Amino acid sequence: MKKLGKKILAAVLTATMTLSLAACGGSKQTSTDTNPSADSATNKTTNDGGLDTSKHVTVKFVVLGNRPTNGRLESMLKELNTVLTEKVNAELDLQYVEWADWQTQYNLLLASGDSSIDLITTATDWLDAWPNIKKGSFMPLTHDMIKTYAPNTYASVTSEEWEKCSYDGQIYLIPENHYTQYTNHGIFYRGDWAKEAGLSNINNFSDLGKYFQFVKDNKSNVIPWDVSGTAANGNALASGYVQSTTSNIVIDGVPIGLSSIYYGASKDDAYTVTSPYMEGTSFEDFAVLMKEWADAGYWREDVLNYDGDTRELFKAGASGADQHHTQTYVTDVRPNMDIKQPGSDTQMFSFSEPSKNLVKTSITHGCVAIGASSKNAERALMVYDLLRNDEECYRYINYGIEGSDYIINDSGELDRPDGWDQSIDALESNFWCGRNDELELPNARHYKGAADIYADYDTYAIDYPYGKFVFDNSKVSTQIAAMADVCANYIPRIAFGKVDDPKAMVAEFREKLKAAGYDEVLNEVQTQLNESK
Amino acid sequence: MEIKNVKKAVNKKPLGKKLWDSKTLIIMCLPAILFFIVFFYCPMPGAYIAFTNFNYKQGIFGSDFVGLDNFKFLLNSGSLWMLTRNTILYNLAFIVLGNVLQIIVAILLNEVKNNVFKKISQTIMFLPYFISAVLVGLLAFNILNYEFGFLTTIIQKLGGEPFSVYQTPKAWPVIIVLAQLWQQTGYGSIVYFAAICGIDQEMIEAAQVDGANVFAKIRYIILPSLKPTIIILFLFAIGGIMKGNFGLFYNLVGSSNATLWPYTDIVETYVYRTLMNNFNFPSASAVGLYQSLFGFVVVMFSNGIVRRIDKDYALF
Repeated sequence: MKKLGKKILAAVLTATMTLSLAACGGSKQTSTDTNPSADSATNKTTNDGGLDTSKHVTVKFVVLGNRPTNGRLESMLKELNTVLTEKVNAELDLQYVEWADWQTQYNLLLASGDSSIDLITTATDWLDAWPNIKKGSFMPLTHDMIKTYAPNTYASVTSEEWEKCSYDGQIYLIPENHYTQYTNHGIFYRGDWAKEAGLSNINNFSDLGKYFQFVKDNKSNVIPWDVSGTAANGNALASGYVQSTTSNIVIDGVPIGLSSIYYGASKDDAYTVTSPYMEGTSFEDFAVLMKEWADAGYWREDVLNYDGDTRELFKAGASGADQHHTQTYVTDVRPNMDIKQPGSDTQMFSFSEPSKNLVKTSITHGCVAIGASSKNAERALMVYDLLRNDEECYRYINYGIEGSDYIINDSGELDRPDGWDQSIDALESNFWCGRNDELELPNARHYKGAADIYADYDTYAIDYPYGKFVFDNSKVSTQIAAMADVCANYIPRIAFGKVDDPKAMVAEFREKLKAAGYDEVLNEVQTQLNESK
Repeated sequence: MEIKNVKKAVNKKPLGKKLWDSKTLIIMCLPAILFFIVFFYCPMPGAYIAFTNFNYKQGIFGSDFVGLDNFKFLLNSGSLWMLTRNTILYNLAFIVLGNVLQIIVAILLNEVKNNVFKKISQTIMFLPYFISAVLVGLLAFNILNYEFGFLTTIIQKLGGEPFSVYQTPKAWPVIIVLAQLWQQTGYGSIVYFAAICGIDQEMIEAAQVDGANVFAKIRYIILPSLKPTIIILFLFAIGGIMKGNFGLFYNLVGSSNATLWPYTDIVETYVYRTLMNNFNFPSASAVGLYQSLFGFVVVMFSNGIVRRIDKDYALF
């Protein structure tokens, strides 16, 4: 009997040991209600209307980017914190979500429910703000709370804009609504080489192919586009092709893993949900063309396993192209290419050009949210209000220290001291959720042609049609999980032409996606979109 | 008879007394016991997440119970069979080839009489064990990549036609097994080497006096003496047959080269992708739970078989 007991004990112990493997990483989420109510926050104000800032606190702010190692950030923060301490008895600490696997890292950080996080950079298009709001990562805010602790910010956001930042009647996001930028993607290429190739202006994929071929044939030791075949780059390329060849408008906030495959039919028929990945010939044409490009060697043979920094390679003259958005072109790539590759005359082929299909950057492309379990929500709002609206703080967080990080030239423009090199000396504070045209200095180093580009976009760009649409995925989360698996499996391979038969691959991709529940999710998106009208 | 009675007497002692008698041993075990409680038992209730529609705000036990829905995802995706097959086959290759190689290396080392040479070769074989999988992945990329890889360059120099290893799924089982053997053999052979050192020298000397040559000595003395060690290590390894070496697989294969997945995807890499691409905790946990249960069954089964054959060799 005793022996049997021992055996059972041993069996149970083994079972539990193996079982516990399954539980790894799942035990952090035990607190059930971590949201301090917004009301209690307002109650802390003292009776005479002054705000209680007697306790010195550190406000932790999550930003996206690689933490700089040149020491400039720390010096800036030291100065800035002196000012912040004086004004609201708080200091700022930045936490970086590094670019390697950023989508993953970002969501995991929020999932951790770290209570020391106060301010979080977020966005409804390129970062998963809505899914995270539904998962409870952010603290709901009230009008009173924002009015009390961030009065200047509150005054600069209209009630309609607040509505676009709300879910279930509560505000979760503070938008970057006073900053002009275009964040539509495209390919950056070298104008000088294009000219040599006999291409005056590249504005479609077939000319881009000719350009790549020219680089391949004529520039030794240059890879036409030395891109790394990650899921993010594959998705960007696929959606870029779709944008350039269809009138479909992507619906943000329905992430299928790392991809977005649900679109509105067109600007005139925005409320009919479709997917260019499933319908029409665009995606198939894309697959065929990319297979041609891959076979022609426009990127590395091992693109899917290659992990390099395309932008730096482009600036070093080792890559013939780079892919990102207009804002990056205007503020970083063009001005720096002019310095590092003089005469390169770097141009941008915006994916919107052939089809004139372009949506303006929404005000929620950059937002700030308060961490769900933040202990310093009020002070965080006060700090944010200063960063966004106080000239002194604004210049510290965005530009750094006057004299060493930036100078203001005779015409009142922002310039850099002699010898300043963006690749080495950049501040990288990445405050992308409260920039403000009123305080923004015209930048002497930014590309002067930006205004022309914006004027061109303005002739055809439309406002984002789905500002108030927040997708609730709870009914179809299983299907989305299965679809995400299919997308991760097929899209990077198709986008970088690593397939034997592109058409067959697209057919297989569509079949698998359908089997995973494409139609059910489509119906759900359609139903909820109709309700949001 | 005598001994059996003593044993019975020991067993008959009350539990409290038994604990008190072995208090020193228990105190010595305490760190290990605490480790298992904190890292293995405390998180266990979290496995419940596999049966819920998980929401951060509501927490694990507040989230809605959805039964086996998350396991349906596994079945629907159709990859369960492939994952199980890959994981088990890779592990079998690691266990069988690894142990054979480790035993051979240990025996060879034992036969080497020059101490300096012995130490140096042991150290060199031991080194790869300390190289992180990230670096192994990087090394592999630099050797295997099509444009500038070491292998390609050599093939071209010899006048051959280079081929893209990263587009050839069938090459990968070989590459992965080789990388694993390269990393683990030196380390694993230490255990066997120690076991060989523990063999009674008198037995070996007696064999030599009887005229046994080196091969006879290995065949009739060393190998039989290693049997218990082999069986125990084998049983331990079987317990982990559903567990993969995530670091090695992920870093060698990369995160987006789906061409290779049919031959390289193991449960760990699949779970990782599910979690990372979709932030779907319940589905990932469901796969983990399946893996654990399967591993548990395999351990019980193989231990049962060993027990049938020879009770002394069984783990429990």
